[in-house]
Amino acid sequence: MRSPMLFNRSASCTPPPGYWQCLLPGKGEGLGRNLLFNRRATLVNLALMFGLALCGITSLSLGTVNLEIQQVLQALMGNGDPVSRFVIGELRLPRLLAATLTGAGFALAGCLMQTLARNRLATPGIIGIDNAATAFAVASVVGTGISVAPPMMALAGAATATALAFGLSGASGTRGYRFIITGLGIGAIAGAMTQFMLSRVAIDDANAAYPWTVGSLNARDPLATQILAGGCLLAWPLCLMLARGLTTLQLPDAVAIGLGRRPGRIRAGCLVVSVLLTGLAVAVAGPVGMVALIAPEFARALNRAGYVPLLASALIGAIVMVLADLAGRVMLSPLEVPVGIVTALAGSPYLLWILLKRPSGHLQ
Amino acid sequence: MTDNAFADISPETKVDRLAATELAMAHGHHRVIDALNLSLPNGKVTAIVGPNGCGKSTLLNGLARIHRPRAGAVLLDGRDILTRPSREVARKLALLPQETSAPEGMTVLDLIRFGRQPHQDWLRQWSPEDQAAVQQALEAADMAELADRALDTLSGGQRQRAWIAMSIAQQTPLLLLDEPTSALDLGHQVEVFELIRNLAGAGKTIAMVVHDLVSACRYADYLVAMKEGEIVAEGRPAEVVTPELLRSLYHITCELMEDPITGAPLLVNIQRAPESR
Repeated sequence: MRSPMLFNRSASCTPPPGYWQCLLPGKGEGLGRNLLFNRRATLVNLALMFGLALCGITSLSLGTVNLEIQQVLQALMGNGDPVSRFVIGELRLPRLLAATLTGAGFALAGCLMQTLARNRLATPGIIGIDNAATAFAVASVVGTGISVAPPMMALAGAATATALAFGLSGASGTRGYRFIITGLGIGAIAGAMTQFMLSRVAIDDANAAYPWTVGSLNARDPLATQILAGGCLLAWPLCLMLARGLTTLQLPDAVAIGLGRRPGRIRAGCLVVSVLLTGLAVAVAGPVGMVALIAPEFARALNRAGYVPLLASALIGAIVMVLADLAGRVMLSPLEVPVGIVTALAGSPYLLWILLKRPSGHLQ
Repeated sequence: MTDNAFADISPETKVDRLAATELAMAHGHHRVIDALNLSLPNGKVTAIVGPNGCGKSTLLNGLARIHRPRAGAVLLDGRDILTRPSREVARKLALLPQETSAPEGMTVLDLIRFGRQPHQDWLRQWSPEDQAAVQQALEAADMAELADRALDTLSGGQRQRAWIAMSIAQQTPLLLLDEPTSALDLGHQVEVFELIRNLAGAGKTIAMVVHDLVSACRYADYLVAMKEGEIVAEGRPAEVVTPELLRSLYHITCELMEDPITGAPLLVNIQRAPESR
């Protein structure tokens, strides 16, 4: 038996303040299906997409050969002079795509992990996932007899580190500082293993593996980029599925359970996506620090409180990565500064600021 | 299946809707509750009282499926609560835990809208029912004026009312609260307890863990006294509360008077009981 008062209201329904409502054709008792769009988030994301496009074009036009914007656009269309077509199509565009994908991957992984652990320091870089992925990838590069492709090795490393951090942090799981401290230890061990392997192999092998240790887009493997693109495509629908439950992870677990959510499952899902993205991104660019930490922070600042900005984090991560790579290429040109060093230089003061600031913000 | 929670609140339901049978709960290896039986009277406010560490919060967490029991079961409408989909349970049973924290800057309205999650899904993110329920919750908790304020700018009592409003918006016939007035001053305590009474008046079945025995007597219809994981007494406050019970629960001696206005038991001349018993 339905209360008549409620039933009559079904004709008109205004969305909550700050949202756009999109009515979908639907069946059932006069109640249409609908989607809500957070206005602020929609505008922010559109602006960020525009910003990313601008940064991308800038990145394509600058370098050892500077091109005009028009030349860039023509080359992108497949027209223009052969030199700029070669520079754009063969050199800069693949690199730009790699930067965009790795930046988005790292940042999305960071945002997921910060939210699931309810801690802004809980990013794959700090938990040691980056380092472990690197150690495994380096192991395959320097030829320790394991001849699996680096992306798969990096993924295996990322998964191993997460499983260890999770297993060793005991009953509290991904909550609390124990997870972070355990992760720090695992990261340190993995970093030491990488250095050890590099010190034991021939100098040529060590040189080949060097980009892995600092984070660089210079020596990327096209196959790894393609696999990362696949990973991103796979991660996106998973994120959309998790997104609604993810917002309840900002509240205490008992509240989330009371609302019919299963925090353990949501955390597990986020952790899997986070590990996947981190592992595949490390396989392309090595452990580029700070992107996963900073991008979600900016994304949250731009959005309304209580919103988990997955898309905005990914877009900002991509922008940061593109700009950092651009800076690394042109700063000391013709010398190239690896992108990981640029992000570390630019990001470390920010990390200090977070640590010294009053513990506040959206997450504890 | 009905999404209409009002149909559920009808007092005609004869069977008690939430009950524990032979419930055993533990923290790690430490067994807190063993073979406990309890049935919450429908449409009433039940207060669970007892000394620190007696297992009253553990019991509430068990009733709300936050922790799994070691043995026995919690029955919601006669069926084991753990065998039912969690979302379905969330449409019948709301919980306000002791620890409530929200992201900084989140508004009252944002919080209350969380209460509608069990009624929504991916392709129905906002319905007229949601709108009506949020509005009703805002009014019931007297929060309409504060809807757009950030939670962290509110007073403790207002914030607690906002959280209760979230569980009102959930439109469940059952509501469990874990120490809803802890850390509130007297005025705010009364504010929250009166809101809880109003909800019971509207037909909700409520159980709350309460630290303060006098408030429990004043605002509850049914009192459950626990000690060392067992229920030592239950019934109407005026019948249950005796000097012997208080001595056994809290090691105090006191005299009991009847509140001339409400008829609830009043404790006077409270002293520590002598050690020899």
